[in-house]
Order: sequence, then C-alpha cells, then structure tokens
Amino acid sequence: MTEDKILLTARYAEGDLNEDESAAFETRMQSDEELQQHLKDYQHIHQSLKMQLANDANDERFKNTLKGLNKQYFRDEPKVISFKPALKWLTGVAAVLIVGLLVWAPWRSNLYEKYANNGQMLVTERGAEATTDLDKAAALYNEKNYSAAKTILEKLYVKEPANAMLGYYYGLTLLETTQLDSGRKVLTQIYTGESVFKYDSAYGIALSYLKEDKKAECKTWLQKIPKGTTHYQQAIELIEKL
Amino acid sequence: MAKAVHPDQRYLTALITNDTGVVNEIYKKCAGKVKSFIVFNNGTTSDAEDIFQEALVDIYNQAKYKNLQLTCPFEPFLLLVCKRKWLNELKKRSILPVTKNEDDLLHIGEDTFEQAELLEQQQEQSTLFLKAFEKLGERCKEIIRWSMQGDAQEKVAEALGVTYGYLRKKKSECMASLIKLVQVNK
Repeated sequence: MTEDKILLTARYAEGDLNEDESAAFETRMQSDEELQQHLKDYQHIHQSLKMQLANDANDERFKNTLKGLNKQYFRDEPKVISFKPALKWLTGVAAVLIVGLLVWAPWRSNLYEKYANNGQMLVTERGAEATTDLDKAAALYNEKNYSAAKTILEKLYVKEPANAMLGYYYGLTLLETTQLDSGRKVLTQIYTGESVFKYDSAYGIALSYLKEDKKAECKTWLQKIPKGTTHYQQAIELIEKL
Repeated sequence: MAKAVHPDQRYLTALITNDTGVVNEIYKKCAGKVKSFIVFNNGTTSDAEDIFQEALVDIYNQAKYKNLQLTCPFEPFLLLVCKRKWLNELKKRSILPVTKNEDDLLHIGEDTFEQAELLEQQQEQSTLFLKAFEKLGERCKEIIRWSMQGDAQEKVAEALGVTYGYLRKKKSECMASLIKLVQVNK
C-alpha cells in the first residue's frame, strides 16, 4: 500500500496524472494525512536534490560574485606591519634622535657664516691720486684682515666720529674681531642717527647676536630692517630660519 | 503558523538575484568577524574564506530551492552558521575549539539558533539525498539529473530524446524509488 502512495504522490507532483486522477488525488489527500506527508517529503527531497544537482547559470554567477569578494575581503588586504618589540624601541630611539638633532641643529652654526656681512668696503668717493689710510683700511677689510683694518679705522673714527661710513666699518671690524659689545655700541649710534648705513648697522648688530646664538635679540634687530633696504631680503630669510 | 518573516529577508533576495552591492555589504559587515573567529580558533584566513563562502552558498541554495524564510536578523544568523560550520570542521580535524560553543553566543536570539540549526539539518539531509540518488540506476540518474537542470521539462525531454509523457512517467518512478531508498536509510 505505502509503495503505491509514494509512486502516486510522485506522479501527482510530476504532472503524470491526468486531470481526473489529479483531482481525485487532491480530494483524497484532504482526509489522508499520510498522503499530505508524502507530498511534503516529495517536495523536500526533490528540492534538496535539485539544490545539489542544478548549478544553473545563475548559481554560477552568484558563486563568481562570491569569488570576487573573497579576494577583496580575505586576500588582497594590505598587511598591517607590526614591529617586533625590539624594532619598536629602535624606531622610538631613532625618532628621539632625529627630533634631538633638529633641535640641536649643528648645521645652524653655519647660519652666521651664511648671512654674515661679506660686503666689500668700497671707498668710491676717493680719488685715485694718493693712497689714503682709508684706502689701506678698505684693502685690508676686503682681504678680511679685520684686525689690521680695525687699527686704521679706529684712528680715523676717533678723528671723525660723525662719519657714518667710518663708524659702520669700524663697528664691523670690532664685531669681526669679537669685540662684540663695543662694536654694537658703535653700530647702535649709527642706527639711531640718520645715514645710508642706518639699517646696515641694524643688520650688523643682529648678526653679532646670531654669532652669540642670542636668537631673540637677533630677531629683534632683524625686524627693525624695513622693506626696500639692502639687507631686507636676508633679514626675512634669517628670521624664518630662526 | 509560521513566524513572521524578518525584514532581513531582503539579504536572501539579494543573494538569489546576485545583487552585488548588497552581497558586498554582507562581506563588509561579516567577513572580518568570521575571519577573526576562525583565525583565533586554530584556523587560517583561507579556512575562513572557505567557510564564509560555503555558508553563503548554503543560505543561497536554501533560499532559492527550499524557499528559506528568515525569521531572525541576518547578520547573527550568518555568523552563527559560520561558527557552527567551523566547529564541525574542527571536530573533523579533531582539534578542540578554543571558544566554547555557547559562551560568546549568549546574546544571540533563540530564533537565530533554530534557524541555524534548521539550515544545518537541511544541508545534512540534502547530502543524504544525494547519496541515495547515487545508488539509483544509470537511467534514473540521467533523467533526474537532467530534469533538475531547468524548469522547462519539455526541453529536457527533447534533450534526452524521449517524449514529455515518458519523461514524466519515468521521473515519477525514479523519484519514488529514491524516496523509498531514503526512507529505508532512516
């Protein structure tokens, strides 16, 4: 009996019954729980099997979608580089060293040399007829023999303290020979006066402070140099670097 | 009566229609979690990839062929399916899992457990049905295999070189034999 029912259910489900037989099956099923269960089982088994066997084009497409995403989410991720503890320490130490180096900045000592007043002392107003003391001083100054130039300029400056040019170069030679305070005093006088050397003097003073690594003072003096003067561009650059 | 279908059924629909955007969303939400669970539990990224794909294919199949109706939220369901799959895999490899089965799953609703359990049962059963199918005669296998490929049975009959009537009759007989085989094995 059971065997008949299973086959009957299969034929019903597969549309192998004719119309009358089919209608009779449905009527019978309403009161026959066994048939109801057979039909359920049939559909369950049929679909489960279909799931395993079908693999149609859509299933393939779906699996391809998964494959693509698998690559993205399980494989092609950027690897997080994890340092070993020792390496971590090393990088820390290296970072500290670099920061320290930036603060200490040994190459900064070159700033003075880079921005130092390497201008030539020009004595244009003099004629060529005789070599004066001023000419000698200028020659020595230009040869960077500052102490010899200083000796001559000092005498001339004492004679003509109002001569801004003499004062300016005398001041610079003082600075170059590390008589910073007296040099600054001379230059400050020129700065407070009115002459073409006014702002050149300010620049000289600023650099004298740079030489001593007194950055704040250096800055203050650099900031006194207005736009349009000889040393303005240098002053701006130097302020930035400080 | 059956429980109300959860709004997350949309994820199953997206799987069936191969809606790449939504499938991507699923990966974004869940792939990382499954990966960390499996990698933490004696697995590799490649294991995680396999398990994740298997789980999605199972859910896809159940939704497409067995009309799976989701009565719980999708994400915990998928995660639970993956976990169960992996724990079974560990059993097969006879490795003890690090995390106990339930410990980290306490916050998951009963519905989710039931649904995951059901999915697993269904998958196991379908494997049994396939084994029974393999025991059928060659002709039956051929007919069933072909008829499962598409829905247009007339075309299947044509491809097999038989009449539609013969196909229906033969398929009914073959399926009846299959069902009997399954029931004998129960």
